[in-house]
Amino acid sequence: MKEKHFSEKISSIGKTENKRKKTALRVGFPRSLLYYKFHVLWTVFFETLGAEVIVSPPTNKEIKDVSVKSAPDEDCYSTKLYFGHVLYLKDKVDYLFIPRFSSDHKTDISCPKFIGLAEVLRSMFPDLPPILMPYYSKAKDGHGNIRLIRIAFSLGFKFTRNPFRILHSFVKSFRRFKQYHDDLYISEDELRRWERNEFVFNKTISTTNKTNPFKIALVGHSYVINDSYSSLSIKEMLLAEKVEIITSEQLPRSVIEHQMSKLDFNMYFRYEREILGTVMHFLENETVDGILQLIVFSCGPDSIGGEMASRFSRRKQNVPLLQLTLDELTSESGVTTRLEAFLDLIERRKKLKENEIICP
Amino acid sequence: MPITFPHFGSLTYVFEVVLRELQRKDILFPKKPSKKTSELGSRHSPEFVCTPFKMTLGTFIEMLDEGATELGMGGGNAYCRFGYYWPVQKMILEDLGYDNFRYIMLDFLHPLRIWKVLKEESNGCSYLQTLRAFRIAWIKNRYTDLVDKMLYKYRALELEKGLSEKIANQAFRLVVETEGLRNIKKLEKKVIDLFEQNVPIREEKDPLKIVISGEIYVVLEPSLNVDVHRKLNELGVIVESTPTLRSFIDVGHKLNPFITMHHQIARKTAQPYLQHRCGGEAQENIGEMIIYKNKGWDGMVHLYPFTCMPEIITRSIAPQVSREHDMPILSLVVDEHTGEAGFQTRLEAFVDLLKRRKMETN
Repeated sequence: MKEKHFSEKISSIGKTENKRKKTALRVGFPRSLLYYKFHVLWTVFFETLGAEVIVSPPTNKEIKDVSVKSAPDEDCYSTKLYFGHVLYLKDKVDYLFIPRFSSDHKTDISCPKFIGLAEVLRSMFPDLPPILMPYYSKAKDGHGNIRLIRIAFSLGFKFTRNPFRILHSFVKSFRRFKQYHDDLYISEDELRRWERNEFVFNKTISTTNKTNPFKIALVGHSYVINDSYSSLSIKEMLLAEKVEIITSEQLPRSVIEHQMSKLDFNMYFRYEREILGTVMHFLENETVDGILQLIVFSCGPDSIGGEMASRFSRRKQNVPLLQLTLDELTSESGVTTRLEAFLDLIERRKKLKENEIICP
Repeated sequence: MPITFPHFGSLTYVFEVVLRELQRKDILFPKKPSKKTSELGSRHSPEFVCTPFKMTLGTFIEMLDEGATELGMGGGNAYCRFGYYWPVQKMILEDLGYDNFRYIMLDFLHPLRIWKVLKEESNGCSYLQTLRAFRIAWIKNRYTDLVDKMLYKYRALELEKGLSEKIANQAFRLVVETEGLRNIKKLEKKVIDLFEQNVPIREEKDPLKIVISGEIYVVLEPSLNVDVHRKLNELGVIVESTPTLRSFIDVGHKLNPFITMHHQIARKTAQPYLQHRCGGEAQENIGEMIIYKNKGWDGMVHLYPFTCMPEIITRSIAPQVSREHDMPILSLVVDEHTGEAGFQTRLEAFVDLLKRRKMETN
């Protein structure tokens, strides 16, 4: 009897929730490009506002096929995938959230395609649901916190009439965003300890094992490294091979800024700084066994950053650098072969080094 | 210390003017980029960098072999990767074994910074003299643009083939060599007279008019765009190219509150389609389509280098603008493999289409 009552209660709760959800507006985030940088901020903000957040699934073959068919053929692979994600969400949401984000730094910007993407989509697919496209550019238009609050309110009033709720979700989302960054970036101290093999990120490696694992710096845009379909699950493959990985996302910002100050020009692409800074740091300190750079085909910033990285590594040849260019035609077996060859190379170099130490 | 700069269509004359006004005697004029230049450039360039990078790198390699030591190049945070041209090219040239050279970077988005760099690179000019030199350059840039405009009009209608080009060369030399601000201000009339008096044109009622827009380097450099302007002119079409360096360096018109520069109008017109500037000439080009449609032009050819980030945005939005404003557009991608015949066929087809449209509407 009691049990029945309990289950009824549960089902009634479910019903009210369903009712509430029906009225809640649905916001769609394509799981691509900037989503990988800002997902915490956006999700928390819209969920606290009372909207239902719908994120497209991780890239799969279906999405890829749609994107290759529908996207402009000269866009980079990641941008093409964005089209597929948007088209997946088309009929499932009331609003699409595609911010026109240019920069959050005084002088540094991000890819110009992020500014035009929302308008390109609106123009190419007129039947899309309304797109929320706030514009924010600190470098070019001098936007600051006031602009952010204005954006928050203009977005918020679409979902709620309560200004305090908007303010609350604004503050909460930024707090959580900061928290997320604190968790993501390792500190300089941690980096030093990691370089000294005092701990590992990869949980499958037993720390009791005396021989140190291979250490590889996985470098690339966060929307490539974390998207296992477009990066052909290189990250998972390496983890399964018991390789210790550090990604360019994790590196402390201070280390990257320190490396960038050594250049005689300003590297003004925000996310390319991260990539080049990581490569330069490990080329200089030689604390990893290899650097693996993932480049997306026809990515503008990568064409510059990749060239610089390869030229820096040619000048300082102690750490091998493997650059893999990915696009929709890249086959998994080709990548696997090259990755295996790269790991073999690292292994041999390591053995040679050990022999040198024993009998110099 | 011979100084050189990339070959940049009619702007080559403007660069020449600046350097002359700065009392530089050791100017090494860049060669016109040839097939060899582009091959040389693309051999040493990153795989999918945009074509102007490859072209300028090729030019610089050729000029370094001729003994240049100072390379003038644009730079600065320009939304796209243009600002990285010089650091990466520098690295490439260093790896190729050139060591006795240096880059002079002109941040074209900030005229004040240009002023400062020009002062440093001048042959002992003061700030005031440098400003004067810079001013003469931007004023003369107006007239080189005018010569271009006249040439693209007269070449389409000329009776004697090749005459207008000869006159254009004369006009360019006239613009470069005129001295004294008073004489320079008279140039506009002189240039127009030069064409009107010397080039006999055939009377044609309502000839086809096509506007050429796109990325500035590709539109202005004839050796890169396989001379689209001439090809269209030879088909009897009057053309006009819209991108100009004046939108960055013409401080005189920029500061003048009574003059609204053309690119500003274009940006404003493009607002409903592309609200914010995203580098290159993306926003301007979209505005240009609407402006020239309202002016009664027949079509637009949009040129951009392969993998150019901002222009892909234009290209993706252009079909919508074209549909809504009934303005035919032909987007052409240019890279080092571009063949003349392919372009010729497409341009001819486009012109035929426009002719038929015109006949139907009449």
